[in-house]
Amino acid sequence: MKKTVDISLPVGPVHPLFKEPCRIKCETRGEYVLSAEVELGYVKKGIERIMRGRPWQEVMFLAERVCGICSVIHNYTFIEAVEKISGIIPPERAAYLRVIVNELDRMQSHLLANYSYCYTIEHETLAMYVLNLRETVMDQLELITGARVTCAYIIPGGVRWDLPDDRAESLKSALDHIDSELTRFVRIFETGPFIALRSKGIGILTKEAAEAAYAVGPTARASGISVDCRSDHPTYQALGFSPVVRHEGDNYARIMARFDEVFQSVNLIRSALLKMQPGPVRGGGVIQAGSIQYRMEAPRGELLYDLVTDEYGRILEIAIQTPSIMNIQVCAHEMLTDAESAADITSIFISSDPCIACTER
Amino acid sequence: MTSIIWYIREFLRPAWISRFLTAKTEPLVTPPYFRDFPVTTENECTQCLACMMICPAPEAIIVVKREGVWRPEITKGHCIRCGLCVEACPEDVLASGRILATKKEEKLLLSGTYHISINPKTCMGCGNCSVVCPVNREIDPSLRSSGTSRSNEVIMRVDTGQNKILHEEKCTGCKTCEEHCPNNAIRVARVVEATEGGKL
Repeated sequence: MKKTVDISLPVGPVHPLFKEPCRIKCETRGEYVLSAEVELGYVKKGIERIMRGRPWQEVMFLAERVCGICSVIHNYTFIEAVEKISGIIPPERAAYLRVIVNELDRMQSHLLANYSYCYTIEHETLAMYVLNLRETVMDQLELITGARVTCAYIIPGGVRWDLPDDRAESLKSALDHIDSELTRFVRIFETGPFIALRSKGIGILTKEAAEAAYAVGPTARASGISVDCRSDHPTYQALGFSPVVRHEGDNYARIMARFDEVFQSVNLIRSALLKMQPGPVRGGGVIQAGSIQYRMEAPRGELLYDLVTDEYGRILEIAIQTPSIMNIQVCAHEMLTDAESAADITSIFISSDPCIACTER
Repeated sequence: MTSIIWYIREFLRPAWISRFLTAKTEPLVTPPYFRDFPVTTENECTQCLACMMICPAPEAIIVVKREGVWRPEITKGHCIRCGLCVEACPEDVLASGRILATKKEEKLLLSGTYHISINPKTCMGCGNCSVVCPVNREIDPSLRSSGTSRSNEVIMRVDTGQNKILHEEKCTGCKTCEEHCPNNAIRVARVVEATEGGKL
């Protein structure tokens, strides 16, 4: 039977609401979205090919540049993968410092994602509040590592340098500031009737659909799937980590799951600062030959590094699987399908926090 | 209605009002701890090439002789401001942000060993690597014009149409040969270890 379609509506690749170029092709009947497809391929870098044949001190920086928003987790995962190959165990203080920097990075990534969503539903005031709060997190990242985005803080056998007490105090006061300010912003988000109109019951992803399409990260956790790679990480286990899960599965749940995870990150950093004992931050050790598949939880979901090294620690083969590709897929095929209004296309897409630079590498 | 009350409350906060009335953009100041492009200090460079060994960006740092003195020079368009050269320099010639101070305080150290490998299938014996190698040129000045050398002390030389490695242990891992090889046939494996407290 021939399907009658009113209009094929393209959104993007260049769109004022998208952080990165990507095209959504929607088949619509009036305002009703019948189906959607996401077209990628605008920012391909070929970074895995550049990584081959290089030692860790070069690949570490390339790994960070896979994604500008969540650069620390790429550094973290790559270094822990080569450490696992070589049997290097970092000192305890370094393990906690890694968690602190990683959670700061997760906070800024989630705040940026939520800024982007608020901007998409045209609540610019709240968007700017959240973006302003993100600067506090970025300042702390810069204070600890020396750079805002590509921090290059985690190296095999430990971290680049220690966190002295004065910087730890500054971090603690910044965390208090973030906690109190974000509580206020979350209340604005929860109680805003216009926000609820654009968010609650929009872009629903059921638990069954999320499981079938292998959704990851906050997108899956907002649909009631308790999946988080941090649960398997020894340092996070020592900090008593348990994933944030919500059950609504709509735009509102995904944004609130991210806000909840920012609070969770604040608490993780606080407990890491409490548990951290003075000691060395570098244990030494050289990278050896081997192969590994290593996964960790990026702000957007499960990140997998599959790599092979040679006897001098150079990377022979590397494949990176980033979380966004799963979420973009599930967004196009489950959330966007049957959307009631064409105006919700962008907000549903942004609520799944797509990172195109990660996806295309 | 509730949202209007929320907005009124939001805008009637004393902090909001005072900031609204005294709105002023703060001048952009680079914090002193920002990891900027490395700058050279007063210390004397010994041409150990440790900075070139560790540098992850292509041709970002190069040690050159200017007016009879060896100095590291940074190409700002290539430098990614990672600060590894500051950590690797044993003579504290380079400084960036607070890395130099932290390095001295915590006795941070990046040390490396080097292994040269040549792919015989792609090496065409042009001798570019032997000519550009800074260590080779120090040992045998005749290598400045030709890839062949009579000296047995050089790191590598062209012998019967193929590049041969003689003394791998003299390599400083500066990557100059890698950058000048037209076929990417020569690779230097730089095995770097990061330690603390001065222990190797």
